[in-house]
Amino acid sequence: MSTEEIRAFVLASLSAMNYDTTDVDDDTLLGPAGADLESLSLAELGVRVEEEFGVRFDDDEAELLGTMTVGEFGAAVAARIQAAPTAGH
Amino acid sequence: MSHVVVSGMGLVTPVGTSAEEVMAAMCEGRSGLARPDADGPLAGSLEVAGFAPPVDPASVLPAPDTRLVDRCIVMAMRAAADALADAGIEVGRDVDPYRIGVILSGNGGLATLEAQVVVRTQRGRLGVSPYLLPAMLPNMSAARIAIRHGIRGYSSSVSTACAAGAQSVGEGLRLLRADEADVVVVGCSEAPLFPTLADTFGNARALARGWADDPTGASRPFDRRRNGLVLGEGAGVLVLERAEHADARGAAGYADVLGWGATNDAHHPTTPHPDGEGAAACMRQALRSAGIGPQDIGYVNAHGTSTRLGDLAEVVAIRKVFGGHAPPVSATKAVTGHLLGASGVVESAVSVLALGRGLLPPTHNLDDPDPACELDHVRKGPRPAPGITHVMSNSFGFGGHNISLVYGLPSTRLARSV
Repeated sequence: MSTEEIRAFVLASLSAMNYDTTDVDDDTLLGPAGADLESLSLAELGVRVEEEFGVRFDDDEAELLGTMTVGEFGAAVAARIQAAPTAGH
Repeated sequence: MSHVVVSGMGLVTPVGTSAEEVMAAMCEGRSGLARPDADGPLAGSLEVAGFAPPVDPASVLPAPDTRLVDRCIVMAMRAAADALADAGIEVGRDVDPYRIGVILSGNGGLATLEAQVVVRTQRGRLGVSPYLLPAMLPNMSAARIAIRHGIRGYSSSVSTACAAGAQSVGEGLRLLRADEADVVVVGCSEAPLFPTLADTFGNARALARGWADDPTGASRPFDRRRNGLVLGEGAGVLVLERAEHADARGAAGYADVLGWGATNDAHHPTTPHPDGEGAAACMRQALRSAGIGPQDIGYVNAHGTSTRLGDLAEVVAIRKVFGGHAPPVSATKAVTGHLLGASGVVESAVSVLALGRGLLPPTHNLDDPDPACELDHVRKGPRPAPGITHVMSNSFGFGGHNISLVYGLPSTRLARSV
């Protein structure tokens, strides 16, 4: 799974969640200072990633997603996919 | 004790979204009942229903919140925004945010729960949206209205089935009389037109049957051929305000909320007590609360759902309270269908407009009054009632909940022209 594919999935998810992704890039924060996802949106993003790639963020990790940039989040997802190669579909 | 005035109203109903439109439909007998789409999810579950016009969620909510939100919440927010605009109230400018409350009731977004149960069955745990609770909890209409308008005072949601909207008005009256607020936004919103709810009403044999070829004839309160209720969707919101507060900002009132009664039949979960005593006690309590007698009431907007037992029990109760001189009565669910809890607020609005205009809307479809339901029915067209000073609106709910509301001419310096 390439980081480009993961980034594309994250951006598609944000669009599907009715967030404007026009100015979103790897350096954009997911939380209030950037893409402006609030707590439930961050939770939904985590669920979407889990459903798509089979990787899970624990509750305490999920709380930190808002402080990550899109690039950092994509890298975190990629690292988890690599660590659990049998997961995903 | 403060006088309490209705200073704004917002409606989303099968017969329109403005007071003017709704009242015109009721007086002209223009029905909001229709057959569901033959290819839609309700086909086979409902022969006929009262469909309210679409409301765009994006007109009341931020974009991310529009993906999963129940229609009952969207209609509640639309009606509340319209009611506040009608009252000319902007929170913070016209009322202290901590002196305005919101009581917005209903059964909640059960259609959204149903849809998520289906998704979970198909996709498993990960298919369930984290947004489900804010999309469907019964208190979320009140909460989202508070968030959107910055209402920081008392907020609540009443869950007394088809009495919930009327009870919200009563609770608002209580708050204002106790001087715990200057303004309270009260209302109810219901979106019951989805398969599971339709099927339970149908299997309980509560729905009108045999009207597929004549859908606008299906709801016929007090008529000999009535055979059940017609489900409808909609929202009604009133802005209640202390009359002194309305006067201070130069606002005109539609009517005063003078009193209310609340009782329980303590009889059966879904069937009214046939002796009508609980409902009669409720109406008497409302009259006492208003400080008037039965002879002062010039019109009763009946609960009148078009069920055999319910209509009969209400007639018995009205006769007990008013004796042989019962005021003119009509049931406007004939054109709207039964909006469940929301009906009490929509019918309050109609009662208030009837009072203001001195014109009583008829019971549409009351072609052949059931002899067992004999009353002074307004039928076959509106009836002029110049000089009426007080009206009553009844709402009764599953669970035996009875609510009666009494409205009178506005005590504000300015009266709304209706």
